[in-house]
Amino acid sequence: MENCRIGVYICMCGTNIAKIIDAEAVKKSVSKLPHVELVETYKYMCSNPGQEMIIHHIKEHKLNRIVVAACSPNMHERTFRAALRKAGINQYLFEMANIREQCSWVHDDPKDATEKAIALTRAAIQRVELHDSLESLSVEMCPTSLVIGGGIAGMTAALELADAGHSVYLVEKNNHLGGNLARVDLTAPYLYSARDLLTERITRIKTIDHIHLHLNSKVTELTGFVGNFRAKIYEQNGKTDGNEKLTEVKIGNVVVCTGYKEFDASRITHYGYGKLPNVITSFELEKMIREGKIETKEGKIPKYVAIIHCVGSRSLEFHGYCSRVCCMTALKYAHEIKSANAKSYISDIYIDMHAFGKGHEDFYRRSSEAKTLFLMYEKNDRPVIRRAGPKDDCEMLIEVNEKLSGETIEIPADLIVLMVGMEAREDSAEVARLVNISQDKEGWFIESHPKLEPVATTTDGIFIAGTCVAPKDIPDTVAQARAAAARILAKISKGKIEVDAIYSEVDPDLCSGCRFCNKLCPFSAIEFDEKEVHSHVIAAMCKACGVCVAACPSSAIKGRHFTDSQVFAQIDGLMEVVHFAE
Amino acid sequence: MAIRINPTLIDELNSFGAEDVQLCYHCGDCSAVCQHSGEIFNFPRKSMRRLQMGLEQKIETTFEPWLCYYCGQCSTQCPREADPGESMMSLRRWLISRYDFTGIARQFFRSKLVEVLSIIGVAILTGLFLVIYGFSGGNLQIYDGEGAFLPSTFIHKFDLLIGSVMAIFLLINAIRMWYFTMIKGVDFNIPWWYWLKNIFTLPLHFFTQKRYAECESKNKSGIFMPWLIHLGLMLGYAIMLVLVMVYIEELQYGPDIIWKVHIFGYLASIGLIIGTVYFIRNRLIKSKYVQYKKSHDTDWVFVCLLFLIVLTGIAQHILHRTGIPYWANIIYVIHLMCVVPWLLRMPFSKWAHLVYRPLAMYFAAVYTDAKEKQEVISGSYAISVK
Repeated sequence: MENCRIGVYICMCGTNIAKIIDAEAVKKSVSKLPHVELVETYKYMCSNPGQEMIIHHIKEHKLNRIVVAACSPNMHERTFRAALRKAGINQYLFEMANIREQCSWVHDDPKDATEKAIALTRAAIQRVELHDSLESLSVEMCPTSLVIGGGIAGMTAALELADAGHSVYLVEKNNHLGGNLARVDLTAPYLYSARDLLTERITRIKTIDHIHLHLNSKVTELTGFVGNFRAKIYEQNGKTDGNEKLTEVKIGNVVVCTGYKEFDASRITHYGYGKLPNVITSFELEKMIREGKIETKEGKIPKYVAIIHCVGSRSLEFHGYCSRVCCMTALKYAHEIKSANAKSYISDIYIDMHAFGKGHEDFYRRSSEAKTLFLMYEKNDRPVIRRAGPKDDCEMLIEVNEKLSGETIEIPADLIVLMVGMEAREDSAEVARLVNISQDKEGWFIESHPKLEPVATTTDGIFIAGTCVAPKDIPDTVAQARAAAARILAKISKGKIEVDAIYSEVDPDLCSGCRFCNKLCPFSAIEFDEKEVHSHVIAAMCKACGVCVAACPSSAIKGRHFTDSQVFAQIDGLMEVVHFAE
Repeated sequence: MAIRINPTLIDELNSFGAEDVQLCYHCGDCSAVCQHSGEIFNFPRKSMRRLQMGLEQKIETTFEPWLCYYCGQCSTQCPREADPGESMMSLRRWLISRYDFTGIARQFFRSKLVEVLSIIGVAILTGLFLVIYGFSGGNLQIYDGEGAFLPSTFIHKFDLLIGSVMAIFLLINAIRMWYFTMIKGVDFNIPWWYWLKNIFTLPLHFFTQKRYAECESKNKSGIFMPWLIHLGLMLGYAIMLVLVMVYIEELQYGPDIIWKVHIFGYLASIGLIIGTVYFIRNRLIKSKYVQYKKSHDTDWVFVCLLFLIVLTGIAQHILHRTGIPYWANIIYVIHLMCVVPWLLRMPFSKWAHLVYRPLAMYFAAVYTDAKEKQEVISGSYAISVK
């Protein structure tokens, strides 16, 4: 600190900062501070000339601390850290003062805003004096991956990784691959056979040597951190013979593709599912179609078929969300039933027709052309099914307030298909705990960012894809699986992973072994060493949130780059100006 | 009380010409663009919906399809090519068959073969009857006066007989229309003086067809061509019907031309010939007017048979006046062979529009008055009336 030489740069951001804040006043106010070697104002610090200026000054004036008063560190901290690296000094000997988002953009009084900018800049200067040179960690990246779930998403991710030459462990709970898609006949809207989509994948998975397929298996334990996980795969071959096997594998990344389960239709009592024999779910109809005969329980060909949409979806009582695939699947059924029996009449009872995807609107039109009768009901004003009387020419009658005509109507039906929605699997909480990711209120896994990071999670090295994230159709599922694989391949190709130098450290001499921090850490980054009786932070998993630092009763945990002295120095810098202003 | 829908009706209406109604997804563009659609009578969307859902009782008890004059704006605007204009036309065909208690209209609309065969059958019977009658006391070389092959006094009685048969059927059907729409289809009280007050709408709409003109003024088609020609054809037909039923003896008297009678005949013939040629041409070339793009079998029978009647009527008149009674008589027999099936077919065909449309306008006026009164009483108009 004795030879601390600080360079301070005040950015005008064009007029973004300069129109409110007097940059020259800031410069004047901080230039006399101890250790400040030089202060510059400049139009755009983030521009190449701006960065070049810093590099040049570091070399020429032997500067060893840099403060840039500009925008949010979210925006350009990386830019300036890179400049420091280029100039040959440690990138952590740098601090930013946010005089744009926190000053010029939110204040309209130039005098007060300038004073605040001075305070923020002084705080940064006082803080940077105490910065240490920190070195990033680098850990090995194991190129083998674990894929949980053998549906279309899991198989796609596994093949994508295997095709790049890496080993994959594919773990499937059932005794066969294919997941929910294997229960489907044709797919909407192009009517590709699901079997064709799956067969090629299943065959390839079985023939590629470096895909290790574990059927009838579960992952029971996952420990370690990105690039260095260890998983236990518990395999049970056959239900009765008790031929069990536990495999422990070393992996670098995990893709979770555990899929969905269908809504239990019997929960909606006035649909009579389970009581009326000819009220069936969409999956039961799929089974009929695959067996090649669509008929009632009595073995008759149904003349009137009714399809009810949004069973369990888009309702206050059950799930508020749209399951996304049912509308097109219902249109597909209209097509399949009509193809099987041209004399049948199909009533499609829906809330809204969600035909958002590629080719969907055309498919909807084709269903209209085939004389599917579309009947609209109000959300939360569900149809009611009852048995028809002996005089009626049908088995059942569906009463509903039809919105487009404004009439209360009775729809004749011999067979009623309930379009059951998707919901999170009952074991999803168990999976979430296993791989340390979060779930939303509906039980779906939460992505790191819903728009920019749709397949990553808040735990490094754990990726999610397909319908375990939210309801989606096959193209979106496949795209996500491939995206997850691509993210992993990018990491593998780098060979090593850089761990940010900012993480918590436990001083073993001070740690009393109370284990408060173990439970509090939201990233499960703190291990407990039973032998030495103290806690230990796994740097690669730590996100530097600071919870453990605040919680530790013995003050044994230090947040690197956020030490007490650094934070206090920053506060002191701020307070000086506040007193000044008073 | 829930109404039972009938998903099979859409298939039945298919044979009446509603081929595209299933494509409708109820955006309501058609009702928005329609000149005649309003608060009380809202169409075609509502009718399209009832048709898709097969709400037979609802369709049967409304006269809304008759309030449409098929300008075709709705079909031009329709984003789904569901052709609401043609669907309304099909509903009118279906309603004609519903009002008809004999079931003949239904057979005609559903089968081209039945219709054509029955026309030919009636024509042959008529021809045989007239030829036997002619030879029993007349001479093929004499057209009028003593010894005429078909004396006008006889034809007069014959016309009145056929006309009465037609009128009876038509009257019964019109009463059924009234019963369906104004008794079964109305759930409020209609004071008797509303019927009296609005009686003028009957002749007004019959003689002017002003609603059709209103359609076209929105369509901006030059000099209102289809409306004018439609009106000419319709008035020509009405005049000719009066001449044939009442003044046939003066009309057939020759060889001099009796101007006070014949002038009407000539004017009517001009209206009829221009009308039939115009409609045949438009239907053949599927002209720019949407309403001629699709032709039901019965539309063709209609225009062709009428054209044949007009042509043979004019021909026998010319042959008679130019002193060729032999050919005049032969053509006259052919003419009557066309006229008789035509007249007998009227209550079961598109030509019944002539009666149902003005009736519907009359009913609509009465209904509107009663409905507005009803809503004032029940308070739904409270704010606007004050």
